[in-house]
Amino acid sequence: MKTVFRYSKIWWLMSKNAFLAVLTQRVGFGIFLLGKLLRFIFFFGFIFFLLKGTNRLAGYDLNQTLLFFLTFSLIDTLSQFFFREVYRFRPQVISGNFDLVLVKPVNALFRSLMGGADIIDLVTIPPLIFAVAYIGSLLHPGILHATYYILLVFNGLILATAFHIAVLALGIITLEVDYTIMVYRDLTNFTRFPIDIYKGPAKGILTFLIPVGVMMAFPAKAALGLISFSGVVWSVALGVFALFLALRFWNFALKKYASASS
Amino acid sequence: MNKYWQIFKISFAQEFAYRLNFIMWRVRNIMQIILVYFLWSSVFADPSRQVFGYNREKILTYVFGILVLRAIVLSARVVDMAGEIANGEITNYLVKPISYFKYWASRDAASKLLNLSFAAVEVIVLYFIFRPQIFIQTDFLILVSTALSVGFAVVLFFCLLFLVNLVTFWMPENGWAAQFLFIAIITEFASGGVFPLDIFPAAFQKALYCLPFPYLLFFPLQVYLGKIGGLTLVGGLGMAGVWILILILAVKVVWLKGIKNYSAEGR
Repeated sequence: MKTVFRYSKIWWLMSKNAFLAVLTQRVGFGIFLLGKLLRFIFFFGFIFFLLKGTNRLAGYDLNQTLLFFLTFSLIDTLSQFFFREVYRFRPQVISGNFDLVLVKPVNALFRSLMGGADIIDLVTIPPLIFAVAYIGSLLHPGILHATYYILLVFNGLILATAFHIAVLALGIITLEVDYTIMVYRDLTNFTRFPIDIYKGPAKGILTFLIPVGVMMAFPAKAALGLISFSGVVWSVALGVFALFLALRFWNFALKKYASASS
Repeated sequence: MNKYWQIFKISFAQEFAYRLNFIMWRVRNIMQIILVYFLWSSVFADPSRQVFGYNREKILTYVFGILVLRAIVLSARVVDMAGEIANGEITNYLVKPISYFKYWASRDAASKLLNLSFAAVEVIVLYFIFRPQIFIQTDFLILVSTALSVGFAVVLFFCLLFLVNLVTFWMPENGWAAQFLFIAIITEFASGGVFPLDIFPAAFQKALYCLPFPYLLFFPLQVYLGKIGGLTLVGGLGMAGVWILILILAVKVVWLKGIKNYSAEGR
């Protein structure tokens, strides 16, 4: 408990510093925020007008499709908010400055993963939660399915954590983070729309092999009553297993760190 | 002319120096196309369905056409210009007997050639994987009009990107932010790169057509698909031409003001 409290305090300090750093560039902050809002509006508009013209997408109506999109946006935004520091990891490794992280009395993974929360994403989280709650309420899920939804959103965040840890580990081994994280983003983008639009092996790959389907689409499916209790248990087990594998990979990669350029 | 040919050759070779970056960039393009392909395949699961003026054949042609057009129109090295202005590297070019505009145009041409070569292979591979119905345009006049509209789109995007990068003269820390907003978000969506603009209400489409963005990807593809012809085609080409003139003028004015403002920071 003492460790949790200590790390919460450290996270708050690091986040405060990251927020202040972003706020010194107010124009940049405004532009990025506007860009993110516009992207959200464009996709929202696209789904709205598409479903107005087609009525259904892969068997889902407008509100159901919007729930998939909003759930994707929520998990994606939350993981970007918490793990923005991953995007800044490469310069640390190639300059050798990662040495300074390793010698500090703070877990190096914690520092590299959560050392710079993103205030731009923080601004967008409350309206997103409101939108999810509003669209979700229109679908009238029961208490059980709403509980499954919340549980699987947390599970999605655990899977997102595992992905980000794996990207960091790859960064140490290959010195490449920028494109790996963008490929991860592109993979998750596949779940912006209901995963049922994919046919054949593509659906299986996205659900089981690269479990972005479990991460982003399963919560919405659970809210719609399409995931059973065993499905929820299986998803959570997958999340925990992925996190375990990612941590093992991180420990392996850390031993390969050569402290070049330092 | 020879020096720009040399820049073209060096830039082409440079793309191979960062192979992983280039391959990842192509992978990202393919992933985006696969997403859109499955989305529209799902919408047009019934082959006889007609939505937003498209049938299955035409919408899948649009998806594949986007992959090719992106390589021709949106592949550009001018994106690196903001960094050069911010860290003062641009000084090296200002003292050399070369035109900074032609320098970037040569580098862009090299990038487009390489990206187009890869896109051509990708289209063939994806075609054999998905076996989509593709609409082949055979009308010579329409093919010439498409080529003309693509040519306009290339010049238009070059001017647009160049102009956005010039913002860095005044905001050295925010060059990337301006690119994110205008290129990664507004151009991406308003050009029809993510989805065809016909799905929007007519009034919104009309408003979009007054901006330069639809002439980058959407308009050339509409011309190819035969959805735009006659006076509408001439009007569209005219509007793209007007935007090119406006942007060339804007680039010249902003460049001159920017150079006056430039203080070679970091040098």
